[in-house]
Amino acid sequence: MDKSTIVCRCEEINVDEIEGAIRLGASTFDDIKRLTRCGMGPCQSKICMNLVRELIATNLGVSISEIPPPRMRMPLKITRLGILAGKTSSSNVVSVFDEASLEAGERQND
Amino acid sequence: MKTDVLIIGGGPAGLNAAIETASRGIKTIIIEESYALGGQLKQQTQFFNNLPKQFDRQRGIHLMRTLIDRLSPLPITCLLKHKMIGVYKDGRIGIANDTETFPIDAKKVIVTTGAAEETDLFPGWTLPGVMTVGAAQILINRERVLPGKNALIVGLNSFSAEVAKQLKACGINILGVMDKTVSVNDKKLVEGLEDKKIRVMVNTVIERATGAGEVKKVTINNDGKKEDLDIDLICIGKGLAPILEPLEILDCEFGFQAKLGGLVPKYYSTLGTSNPSVYVAGNAAGITCLGGILLTAEIAALNALKALGVLNDNEVKVRSSFLWDELRSMESEESIETFIARVAHIKEFHEECELPLPASFHAILEGC
Repeated sequence: MDKSTIVCRCEEINVDEIEGAIRLGASTFDDIKRLTRCGMGPCQSKICMNLVRELIATNLGVSISEIPPPRMRMPLKITRLGILAGKTSSSNVVSVFDEASLEAGERQND
Repeated sequence: MKTDVLIIGGGPAGLNAAIETASRGIKTIIIEESYALGGQLKQQTQFFNNLPKQFDRQRGIHLMRTLIDRLSPLPITCLLKHKMIGVYKDGRIGIANDTETFPIDAKKVIVTTGAAEETDLFPGWTLPGVMTVGAAQILINRERVLPGKNALIVGLNSFSAEVAKQLKACGINILGVMDKTVSVNDKKLVEGLEDKKIRVMVNTVIERATGAGEVKKVTINNDGKKEDLDIDLICIGKGLAPILEPLEILDCEFGFQAKLGGLVPKYYSTLGTSNPSVYVAGNAAGITCLGGILLTAEIAALNALKALGVLNDNEVKVRSSFLWDELRSMESEESIETFIARVAHIKEFHEECELPLPASFHAILEGC
């Protein structure tokens, strides 16, 4: 495989960058994401998810079934910030962000 | 907004599940992110011979009309251009449209989000002119636009073969349908293509696709022999994978079943997931044929109705075992492996939860 082949088209991350991250110890999609921004574009890893999981599996010599998918987060679809936080009736959704930070904090304390 | 049943996704599975629940007078809401109901049936002009008994053999677009016609007299709320974006802390589902976000409080949720097409990695796959077979089908059948003049199809399966024939019928020159496997088990598929004078290439991979601004040339490696083709369209048909985001946000557990499309939510013989208020059906519960999509939706809806106390145990037992039997015959006709994988998936989850399989299910297992 040509190392310059794009894998994540939103963030333009190529095979070389992903394999570089794997050499640095990345073993899940989320590791790759943190190191390279892979999967952080508008499609939110909907296109590259399995391509990246396959690359990890091949490079580590394991089955793709052992590579977990990226953690899926709210909002699940592209949503305008104004729509998320705009109306009083929808202001509850702010808790979406509260929950996210709470969870992250809990995990750090583990 | 409050409802008894919330159905996420208005494709064939969502519609069939809604018909089942709404015809029992149960308050049902469907949310659908696109501008119309029907899901992928919207552009499926191919004939489906293998459908459940209550449907005639018909084209996908006609089946879509049949389902919508059955649904329209029923008391049901269809929220088009609405998408599920999350879950509130109290379990309500967060829905957004173009103007606002609001919660829906549902007693039962049936996830029928369907599947997404898989892509393939080769140098040049991001060039304009490279698309999935599904995208090409949308262009010709729904948008009435020719996606190219000279096309190469990557991946040989019943769907890509069907689209290859449809593209050819639109006047597109198909240079070949290629697959990296050494041989194709399905002789009928190959013969069907050869009948239409479409070249089938096994043991073939794309080395690279090139072009300035759009794809112009492709180098293929056919059994070690390199060949350059002038093309302006590559259609990738690598199969489907279930869409799982809503299920993960709803705290459903997942298992791996290669034959069902990879990661699949764990579910019981009721199509209920590890979240007691969530059911899954259609391609989201494992990639299957259209008959399987419709039948799993019916099974999930029946069991949701039972959990809501609308139907009694016995009625559901009788109908479920009939539906499971029909599902077995329908899925075996396409590929017995799908049904075997589905049964294994269910059995595994029942064992994990130490929940015995229903007696009627044992009869189905013996039939395998």
